[in-house]
Amino acid sequence: MSILAGPIQGALAAIVGREALVDDTAARVSAAVDGLVPRWIVRPRSLEHVSRVLALAWDAELAVVPRGGGNALALGHPPSRLDLVLDLRRLDRVVEYNPDDLTVTVEAGTTMGALAARVGARRQLLPLDPAGVERRTLGGLAATDASGPLRARYGTMRDLLLGVRFVQADGVMTWGGAKVVKSVSGYDVPKLMVGALGTLGVLGELTLRLHPEPEFEATWLAVFTDLAAAQAFVARLVDSTVQPSRVELLNRAGLAACGAGDGPAAVAVSIGTAEEAVRAQGETVARFAREAGASLRPLGASFWAAHAEATALDGAIVLSVGTLVTLVGETAAETERAVAAAGVAATLTGAATLGSLRAAFPAVEPRAVRTLVERLRAFVAPGGGGVIIQRAPAAVRAAVDPWGPVEPGALALMRRLKDEFDAKRVLNPGRFVGGL
Amino acid sequence: MPLGPGLLDELRRILGPDGLVASAEGRLVYECDMHTFYKGAPDVVALPESTAEVVAIVRLCRGERVPIVPRGSGTGLIGGAMAPLGGVMIGLNRMTRIVEIDLANRAATVQPGLINLWLTRAVQERGWFFAPDPSSQMVSSIGGNVSTNAGGPHCLKYGITANHVLGLELVTGAGEVVRLGGKVADRAGYDLTGVAVGSEGTFGLVTAVTVRLLHTAEAVQTILASFGSIEEASEAVSAIIAAGIIPAALEMLDELMIRAINEGTGAGYPKDAGAVLLIELDGPRAEVLAQAERVATICRERGALDVRVARDESERALLWKGRKEAAGAVGRLAPTYLLQDCVVPRSRLPEIMRALRAIAERHRVQIANVFHAGDGNLHPLILYDDRNPEELERAKAANEALLHACIAMGGTITGEHGVGLDKAKNLPLQYGEADLNFMARLRRIFDPDRIMNPGKLLPSHPACGEGFRPARPRVPEGAWI
Repeated sequence: MSILAGPIQGALAAIVGREALVDDTAARVSAAVDGLVPRWIVRPRSLEHVSRVLALAWDAELAVVPRGGGNALALGHPPSRLDLVLDLRRLDRVVEYNPDDLTVTVEAGTTMGALAARVGARRQLLPLDPAGVERRTLGGLAATDASGPLRARYGTMRDLLLGVRFVQADGVMTWGGAKVVKSVSGYDVPKLMVGALGTLGVLGELTLRLHPEPEFEATWLAVFTDLAAAQAFVARLVDSTVQPSRVELLNRAGLAACGAGDGPAAVAVSIGTAEEAVRAQGETVARFAREAGASLRPLGASFWAAHAEATALDGAIVLSVGTLVTLVGETAAETERAVAAAGVAATLTGAATLGSLRAAFPAVEPRAVRTLVERLRAFVAPGGGGVIIQRAPAAVRAAVDPWGPVEPGALALMRRLKDEFDAKRVLNPGRFVGGL
Repeated sequence: MPLGPGLLDELRRILGPDGLVASAEGRLVYECDMHTFYKGAPDVVALPESTAEVVAIVRLCRGERVPIVPRGSGTGLIGGAMAPLGGVMIGLNRMTRIVEIDLANRAATVQPGLINLWLTRAVQERGWFFAPDPSSQMVSSIGGNVSTNAGGPHCLKYGITANHVLGLELVTGAGEVVRLGGKVADRAGYDLTGVAVGSEGTFGLVTAVTVRLLHTAEAVQTILASFGSIEEASEAVSAIIAAGIIPAALEMLDELMIRAINEGTGAGYPKDAGAVLLIELDGPRAEVLAQAERVATICRERGALDVRVARDESERALLWKGRKEAAGAVGRLAPTYLLQDCVVPRSRLPEIMRALRAIAERHRVQIANVFHAGDGNLHPLILYDDRNPEELERAKAANEALLHACIAMGGTITGEHGVGLDKAKNLPLQYGEADLNFMARLRRIFDPDRIMNPGKLLPSHPACGEGFRPARPRVPEGAWI
């Protein structure tokens, strides 16, 4: 313990209260990030607390890792240092819910499950459904730009985050965006915060756009002889007037994980709107499936819950593979081969009409992961795609850049951003692209 | 700020003799955008034809600290594409190529000077379109749409420009070319594309845009419903949304506007109506038919005086005719008007309309309203006679009062037009010192010498000045450091 620890500890306790400051060894060890054990865990109850804690951390140059549900702590490079874990789960209030305006403002530690229950009572939803969504916090979802099958229709957090209150690295509380569904006043600061992993500011409060729940929804599964046939089916859907809510590609392991039977490749399609329109579009989808050599069978509504749970637990290593829509089948096949070459099998899922795949597999040697990630990056790079390691043991992320290359000019701007807003490298130091 | 002769020579060397507009009468064309209050001609207009030429101009100007003002078609409504400090205006109207159309990947890449509607025209026969549809889309450029993050009547369902931009080629104020985003959705790093859209030329110049294309809807249905009052029409809007229906467009006209349109265009809206709702649904045919029926029922239940459903394309055009000619029709009521673009939470529409009537009375002006009711985006037209300076002052005062009223209801000062020179001074209504300071620092990341479109978007406010730091929270006293 440094000689400063005592006074800093006193100051932290003065801000958040003794009860909200955790320093016992067992708790600290269990809050370790990539093997780095924090000196303190702080559990603020208000944004004011967050602001004052960060002001202190800035002055004392403490490295801070903000966390919500802890689902994405294995995203990015291992942190270069760690003093304080800022546990935001007590910031869990729904600050303002305006069902008539389809907007809601929540504190960052609010879980998706809690929000869904609240707005679901009014038949509204925040259409984000990444792996393990129920337990994830809204702040975490925004910081990591997590998404799931519903992005096929509703987009991602960048399309849903209207306004954000965040605390800059030096403790200054800042607001960007608006509380209404349409605004172009000033820079679109919320977009900058989405996916920034809290490296430019700690997200405190989010104003989000809600959508009405569809009146009726149905899901079908088309099982194909191979991924190429699935690709042909996806191409037909893209070039049609069908408006699906989800178009999820699954390989054999993906199908099995969701408890949806067996087959080399499958696409699950859901459509949500007026009942007669769901049926009419379902007939079109069935025709496309037939033409691609598959039969369509209905799936129960529980399929998507099973999908969210299965993908939450599906492997020690998870990659997101971004590729052109026209290459989604080939990329999936290449991913299967690359992972198989490492001696394990990949569970593949992903938003097919956006070329956004997810591959999960058991832990293998860091060197083997590097080989397969480099192979996949080389495969998708010509189309402008990339591979991000979403989850992996620290040793893997030390051996292979979890983010992959970023265009040098853009990276230079990102570095300047970090230099401007966190010159002392207090927030999540080292974890972001380029080691920012 | 007159330019040195050396700079003009250099520009001529970069662009050739046809690439510059330097004569006084030539430059006059560029002295304002569609917000004709604000005038400021550039010292010279440069018309580059390539990214390389843009880079050369920016580097030259940066070296001499000469302001640069980007301009597309000049159809902005905010005093954005004009040069209050003179300097070099870069007109992108010669960069109009469609670089790539890739329907299988639902994307197109275009140069910034391409007219919005031309992109849709290039793909519509194959069943696709570019969604952002500002009223100016027949003449406005996609680069301009990106710059202001333009909206349009159909952004209730489809979102504004930012929701459709996948990537940009940007020449920053430092003269560097950066490629941001692209056709593949998931990217590592900060979303610089997202924050550059709507930056109104203060980060740099966009020299290529990759956009998302959408498949044309199978069916469209347009419904016109008239109501006795704004309140009843607003309730119908709320009921439609509460029923889970998000129309492509949901436009409202108030009594004064209905009168002007009826007199001006013969659109034949019901004479005694206090409000007219224009509702457009699009999507798969079965969905549109089902929803149209429900919308008509909801309107009748909420006391609609009249509900008309267009039976074909010509009837649809007729229903839209009045709405599209609204701005022209008010010419019958007054020689000119101020056009506002503020937003309130949709549920507060009746309240803001009452506040608006009070403001009109207090300042003795007429305010006609046409607005995007679905998202609470108001477009009040404050009528005045520009031959009477006192009337202009009253119109301006009413305009300011209106902005304050929207902010007081939790709204925003611009929904889709942008900030520009016009509203830079109003930004502090909505943002505090720390927020403004964050934006000013963000701007300097892209444009370290502040040569890009100076005076626009950000106010001249202490918090936007170099070296300013907002007050930090106090940390506990004690000898802890």
